[in-house]
Amino acid sequence: MSNAAVELEHVTIRREGRLVVEDACLEINAGTIHVLIGPNGAGKSTLLAAMLGQTAFAGTIKLHFRGSGDVGYVPQSFVADRTMPITIGEFLALQRQRWPVCLGVRKAARARVATILERVGLAGMERRRLGELSGGELRRVLIGNAIDPAPELLLCDEPATGLDPAAIEQLDRVLCELRDEHGTTVVMVSHDRAQVRRIANRVTLLHVQIKDTGQPAKVLERAAASAEAMV
Amino acid sequence: MGWAYEWWIDLARALGLPEAFQYPFVARGVVAILMLAPMLGGLSHLVVARRLAFFSTTLGQAALTGLVIGVAAGQALDETYTPILGFCLLVGVVMSYVRRQTTLPPDTVIGVFMAFTLGLGICLLVAATRRFNIHQIEAVMFGSVLTITDRDLLLVFVLGSLLGVVVAVAYNLVLADSLSPPIARARGAPTTAIDYGFVVIVTIAITVSLKVIGALLVEAMIVVPAAAARNIAGSTRGYLWWSIALAAIAGLSGLFISTLWRVPSGGAIVLALSVCFFLSLPIGRLSRR
Repeated sequence: MSNAAVELEHVTIRREGRLVVEDACLEINAGTIHVLIGPNGAGKSTLLAAMLGQTAFAGTIKLHFRGSGDVGYVPQSFVADRTMPITIGEFLALQRQRWPVCLGVRKAARARVATILERVGLAGMERRRLGELSGGELRRVLIGNAIDPAPELLLCDEPATGLDPAAIEQLDRVLCELRDEHGTTVVMVSHDRAQVRRIANRVTLLHVQIKDTGQPAKVLERAAASAEAMV
Repeated sequence: MGWAYEWWIDLARALGLPEAFQYPFVARGVVAILMLAPMLGGLSHLVVARRLAFFSTTLGQAALTGLVIGVAAGQALDETYTPILGFCLLVGVVMSYVRRQTTLPPDTVIGVFMAFTLGLGICLLVAATRRFNIHQIEAVMFGSVLTITDRDLLLVFVLGSLLGVVVAVAYNLVLADSLSPPIARARGAPTTAIDYGFVVIVTIAITVSLKVIGALLVEAMIVVPAAAARNIAGSTRGYLWWSIALAAIAGLSGLFISTLWRVPSGGAIVLALSVCFFLSLPIGRLSRR
């Protein structure tokens, strides 16, 4: 029996007539960290959006869930209005309580939010406004939002962008913990060669078409040699 | 509704307010504002969060066209809730559909629909004026507390309560979808249903508010309270309560101004709302220092 969590069969994506992804076939194993690399405009983020069902595509994408079926997503950019008066605690409570957040954050949700913030290195920042955060801090909040409850599939689009070295280390720890302790399948877009070497189980080089896939060290070596990817 | 009017008249007497504030139509206006403020003020913070301010303005214009359609079809001015609601729902849903399907910026699409509804309304107005004096329509265009009936207030109360329950149940999903649709969708939120559902809720709220605030000015009540509250609130909780409080304060102030100086209540309420907004700018700046 296949151990695939995500199967892509001949996936083709066009945007306004332009070919963004062409005939991509890929199997992503459950409980692994699979990193998509490739230059800007290679179709990595678009492929993640297709896996989320948020962009039209030709071909087939199969998501094989064996547990909760929860999907976490860390977007490349957070386009929300940063002048919106919402605290970090309220933002994280939105998906963790049924009681309307505008009427207050409940005790149970408050405890979960505190734990999440601790995991991403922002302990005690519940009352800070989301709009006041730096790019790196906001990214950590988005990561925290995506990892609780532990999703079965986690899609991260360049999650390390804007993070300082300590935060990147923390991110690595969190992703490995999700994979090893909860069996989460992580599909991640990354340009950070060192991070890819540290945590990835498999790497796929994408440049409209899938150019290469396999063990991180080998794929990175071949990519560097062919100068195909600006990793 | 008699007990509510009596409550206000007794309160006005106890506060020593001039006799004009104890008139039954003013009492009805006060009760109407106290019912509309939580509904429109409460909705307004979500309207602004979802960037639907211009969209709501267009729905307000569509309400006028719906009214004219009803009158042109032979309905009495007081009986036009159905055509107003029907036309606004049609415009709102089609506008949302087109906004979702096209790659044009949302404000461009909304601008097209606004022009269409206004053009249609003006053309039909000519047909409608053969049936009644155009001045009769002013009450619906600009709002008048004199024309509010118990039935109107009952409608505001029942539908306002119903909308309140629906929004409370779906609140977290709606706000999560407003902040980031891709994240909400990844977590399984029915974002398409939320989008259309919210349009329906705003349309109903606008329709039942027309008598008090008027078709041309109702959008102010659904946008300005949140715009002012956003300047001074530091959390979602504060955002909601400030929106409601400012809608109530401006609503009552406008009502009293219209009673004292005999100007349309809708216009006076919008002026009071605008004053709240302009005051909120320096207050917000000072509070952030």
